Amino acid sequence: ELPPSHFPASRAAAVALGYLRYLRGGPGRGLELRELRRARRQDIDDVGHKYYLELELEDVLDKGRTVSCTAEVLYPLGSKTSAPDVQVTVQGELRSTEEADQEFYNRIRSLEKELEAENIPDSHGNVPPELEPIHLLAWVASGFLIWQNSTENTKFHLAQVKHVKQVKRSDEDLQFDYVLLLHEMVSQEVLPWQVTVLWHPRRGARVSQS
Amino acid sequence: LPVLLAALVAVATCTETFVGHQVLRVVPQSDEELQKVQELQDLEHLQLDFWLAPRGLGLPVDIRVPFPSLQAVKVHLEASGVSYSTMIEDVQALLDEEQMEMLRSSRRLPLDTNTFNYEAYHTIDEIYSFMDMLVAENPNLVSKLEIGRSTEDRPLYVLKFSTGGTNRPAIWIDTGIHSREWVTQASGVWFAKKIVEDHANNEGVASILETMDIFLEIVTNPDGFAFTHTKNRMWRKTRSKHSGSICVGVDPNRNWDAGFGDAGASSNPCTETYHGPYPNSEPEVKSIVDFVKSHGNIKAFVSIHSYSQLLLYPYGYTETPAPDQQELDEVSAKAVAALSSLYGTKFKYGSIITTIYRASGSTVDWTYNQGIKYSFTFELRDTGRYGFLLPAKQIVPTAEETWLALKVIMEHARDNSY
Repeated sequence: ELPPSHFPASRAAAVALGYLRYLRGGPGRGLELRELRRARRQDIDDVGHKYYLELELEDVLDKGRTVSCTAEVLYPLGSKTSAPDVQVTVQGELRSTEEADQEFYNRIRSLEKELEAENIPDSHGNVPPELEPIHLLAWVASGFLIWQNSTENTKFHLAQVKHVKQVKRSDEDLQFDYVLLLHEMVSQEVLPWQVTVLWHPRRGARVSQS
Repeated sequence: LPVLLAALVAVATCTETFVGHQVLRVVPQSDEELQKVQELQDLEHLQLDFWLAPRGLGLPVDIRVPFPSLQAVKVHLEASGVSYSTMIEDVQALLDEEQMEMLRSSRRLPLDTNTFNYEAYHTIDEIYSFMDMLVAENPNLVSKLEIGRSTEDRPLYVLKFSTGGTNRPAIWIDTGIHSREWVTQASGVWFAKKIVEDHANNEGVASILETMDIFLEIVTNPDGFAFTHTKNRMWRKTRSKHSGSICVGVDPNRNWDAGFGDAGASSNPCTETYHGPYPNSEPEVKSIVDFVKSHGNIKAFVSIHSYSQLLLYPYGYTETPAPDQQELDEVSAKAVAALSSLYGTKFKYGSIITTIYRASGSTVDWTYNQGIKYSFTFELRDTGRYGFLLPAKQIVPTAEETWLALKVIMEHARDNSY
């Protein structure tokens, strides 16, 4: 059993959140961790350290509601190149984003010039409303990066979208090339990561590190 | 008189108003719908203003409709089954809001600390000018001390709040030691004003000021702060150059003489937790060390950071619990409960090494080892959603709730003298 106020539990929770944002996030849904309710750690010989977590999540676009979630985060032993294994179960329903997703999709497809923006949020924490879906799509991308690159000795957050450029495609996907600044809490480094996101209202997001 | 006439003329000719105007959006889905929208363009008497003209199927058409024409336009669209949405309910209301916002955030210098904008982030010059105004308005309570100069020769200012006495037991608060943590300097400005207000109204910390002094260093790392405004918003360290490296800056929260150089800091000058060549190498740190030692009567020391929503006490450099761990933990629990009572903001608390990470050479480990029992570090809002880029509208709520926690610590120090 781990005290939720101690950092090992909160680091594992950050990995679980990253994974969830990648799986379930989108331009119309941004998942945030409301509370880490409970945490246990199990050391498995020759395998690694496994964390069992009880989380309370909320959708920043649907703040009145919270959703419970259990997660298992397994950090593999020794290997620094292998991503933690994450299993999650979300209890309950998340607000549907079908309409918002379609509206976003139509809006971007109808742009004459490819979307390009930088510094989201800006220095003062502002995000122009029309860029909020782009911001939340960056959460999906950073969620993927955080899940893939975390260890027991790191805790990543998305610090800022440094740059985003839409790339028009001949198929039905939207493509955004991002430069994301990730803040790593233990080393305190803020480092740029290049990542490409393909997104479609029904097919969801596919993320690839550039 | 000429000035007055000119002003009246300006008012009289500025007749354009957008009260009740709405901006409607139509996305034509068929040729018939497109035609219906194009028909509107020909009806000149409606005085429609197309922000986005009709271009083709599936492309939005945005129309500013003057109030008198609203009925006619909506009937025209509805009669043909063309759906529309209301993008802006009242154009004038939006313009008024924008105007107010611009005035609020205008860079015109405020005349006094009552017109200063506490809901915005400020530059170093604006904060230094605020300090001077506060002192000028309250000469019997507030004074400004220069405790040293930064690497780039900026003054290091500390505000002293005192109702008299000689070398009274004191509370120290610093903000902005890590320059990118903007909500902390902004909160420091708010705290300064709050102390003055409480004293004027004989409430809050007024009772504390009867027997104790408060020292507040708002811009503890001015070189770094200036750099976050001009070159790199994510800059954390000081701006010192040490021979042997092209990299700049030392982590001022790893440069103190408590476990200096141990695990929990970096010896690489190009990293964010570089401890520096030796303890107190940074003038920003040395000046506080000298001040604390020469004052000799500081009873509580609070160093404020962001983000993570944590209240932390020593130690960061060792797992050995601080001798006063139990008391510090109890005070923390109370402080965090007080903080949370205002807006429900949840904080965790504990020792640095168990709660956040191992960190050597940190501020409050040194102050605690100097005998300042009530040594605390705050990590303010948020928990990562905005991180260092906390929206300005959260400055005041953050300062307000943090102040409640600070009062618990200050009152405890006052009531438990040692």
